[in-house]
Amino acid sequence: MIELHNVTKIYAGQTVPAVNNLTLKIEEGETCVFVGPSGCGKSTILRMINRMIEQTSGTILINNKDIRETDPDRLRMGIGYVIQQIGLLPHRTIAENISIVPRLYGWDKERIRKRVDELLELVGLDPDETRSKFPAQLSGGQMQRVGVARAMAADPPIMLMDEPFGAVDPIVRGHLQDEFLKLQREMKKTICFVTHDINEAIKMGDKIAIFEKGQLVQHGTPQEILANPKNEFVRTFIGYDRVVKMLTLFQVRSITKGNYSIIRENELANIRQKMDDEGAAVGILMNESTRPCGLITRDDLEKAGDVSPEKIKEIACSKKDAFIDGDLLLNDALSLMLEWDSDYLGVVDGTQLIGVVSLGDIRECVRRKEGE
Amino acid sequence: MSNLLKYMIENASMILNYANTHFSLIFSAVVISLLVWVPLGILISRNERLASIVIGIANTIFCIPSLALFSVFVTIPFLGLGRSSSLLALVLYAMMPMVINVYQGIKVVDKSVIEAAKGMGMSSRRILREIQIPLAAPVMFAGIRITVVMATGIAAIAAYIGERNLGRLITEGITRNHVEMILSGAILIALIAILFDTVLGAVERMLVPKGLKVRRSN
Ligand SMILES: Nc1ncnc2c1ncn2[C@@H]1O[C@H](COP(=O)(O)OP(=O)(O)OP(=O)(O)O)[C@@H](O)[C@H]1O
Ligand SMILES: [Mg+2]
Repeated sequence: MIELHNVTKIYAGQTVPAVNNLTLKIEEGETCVFVGPSGCGKSTILRMINRMIEQTSGTILINNKDIRETDPDRLRMGIGYVIQQIGLLPHRTIAENISIVPRLYGWDKERIRKRVDELLELVGLDPDETRSKFPAQLSGGQMQRVGVARAMAADPPIMLMDEPFGAVDPIVRGHLQDEFLKLQREMKKTICFVTHDINEAIKMGDKIAIFEKGQLVQHGTPQEILANPKNEFVRTFIGYDRVVKMLTLFQVRSITKGNYSIIRENELANIRQKMDDEGAAVGILMNESTRPCGLITRDDLEKAGDVSPEKIKEIACSKKDAFIDGDLLLNDALSLMLEWDSDYLGVVDGTQLIGVVSLGDIRECVRRKEGE
Repeated sequence: MSNLLKYMIENASMILNYANTHFSLIFSAVVISLLVWVPLGILISRNERLASIVIGIANTIFCIPSLALFSVFVTIPFLGLGRSSSLLALVLYAMMPMVINVYQGIKVVDKSVIEAAKGMGMSSRRILREIQIPLAAPVMFAGIRITVVMATGIAAIAAYIGERNLGRLITEGITRNHVEMILSGAILIALIAILFDTVLGAVERMLVPKGLKVRRSN
């Protein structure tokens, strides 16, 4: 647990504080993401927490102990630190770079070697290929991943990560974020994560702290912040797609409903009857191997009028791809609805149908969450 | 040309003797300079105030004409003519290139590397030993090589204060208007400089961390 009480930092020779009277608590096992425009003091906060710089006033506690009571080198060994500029040692191999803190702890060679390989795998680098390279032989994104591996080397309970995925392309970044989230669910480390990308903040944070010019503007869960931006600054920072961003917080699975009818090929003729009987809004066409192969809504049926079963099948099959994995997020569902011009999507788990999701359900979800 | 060779062969033992003295003067000057100026350069990299004072002194000494410096030392009783004065002068001249290059080498080490190392809990001594000094090696070596080449030249001037080295061939050659003598002095001095520089180049390749060479070859 990290607590900052009335912490202010004024750099020597400056009059405006880089961080102004900040009080903030980061719970054990929580990821708190610091976001804000360039120069708002994010890095400064991290550097105060591991005593790279001393606060001008206020106190910082880690697990209820004032950090000034611990020897700075000892304190830092116990805190994983990913710096914004990466800072790999250019004259040391990747393996040596990663093993810096384990070596400070005096681990034996074999244990270090194993750990290095494990970490390289973890950040998506091939150990055999990367281990004995020098930093200059890696790309910026690869170096950044080594920087993250290095910070995690001795498995510190606290991590300070300053834009750890800033230099990687969006695809790799998404992948690293997913990996990290998965890992964090097991590791339960206390993490301060800096970014200026609000989307990253929403995805990675249990809590988000938004800063402007050294001032904490809003602190809360992503949902709280997206549902109730505190002021114009936060609103602007989030952007006009605030509600779509909120949709990224929920999986399709969470609002999936069962108001559909399974339609076999031989039932196409009296599809209306069956859907009425079952109170279904959607008919899902199933092939012999019970895989969903088409989707038709009440609206579609009405528009089509009195047509042959073949025609109904044709309409249903034109939406044979309008199925979405339950793990995907509501914003993806919304996008696919627009793409397929369909109010309904089928929801699957692998190939197994688990329900349907509708535009109305998404709107309902937003309405509910905004009210909370 | 043949005259020059003839002169050199005829006076081989004298020339070798001079070369030997020349070589040993530079060698001792460089060894002493390394022992004194490298630690001083490292020391001042950790103290800015001290650094500006020391660098000021080094620059000032470097501005004194060598002949003047040699002559001043000769007048100091326990130095006098010969080896002690020459050695002291050479060591003082070496201060500028050596101290400043060591200092600069350490100072220009990428701040983010130091920040990361410190942030992982490395002590400042360990950072100096394991990061700053190895990373400063290329710049330090540049300083050492400049020093050696420079000392080889300045050592010749020590002939004026009684050093019996290759400089003598030049000074005497000038007074006697003896071209072969001047030329053999000049050529051998150049050869010694090249020899030193080549050896140091080889040492540098051995000592400069491999990871830095990777970057250079790109
Ligand atoms: N060593 C320093 N000396 C003086 N001022 C500093 C120093 N470091 C940072 N600042 C100032 O403090 C303010 C906050 O800097 P900080 O690096 O914490 O910003 P940041 O939020 O991390 O920005 P970015 O997103 O660009 O990394 C800035 O105005 C900056 O100019
Ligand atoms: Mg920053």
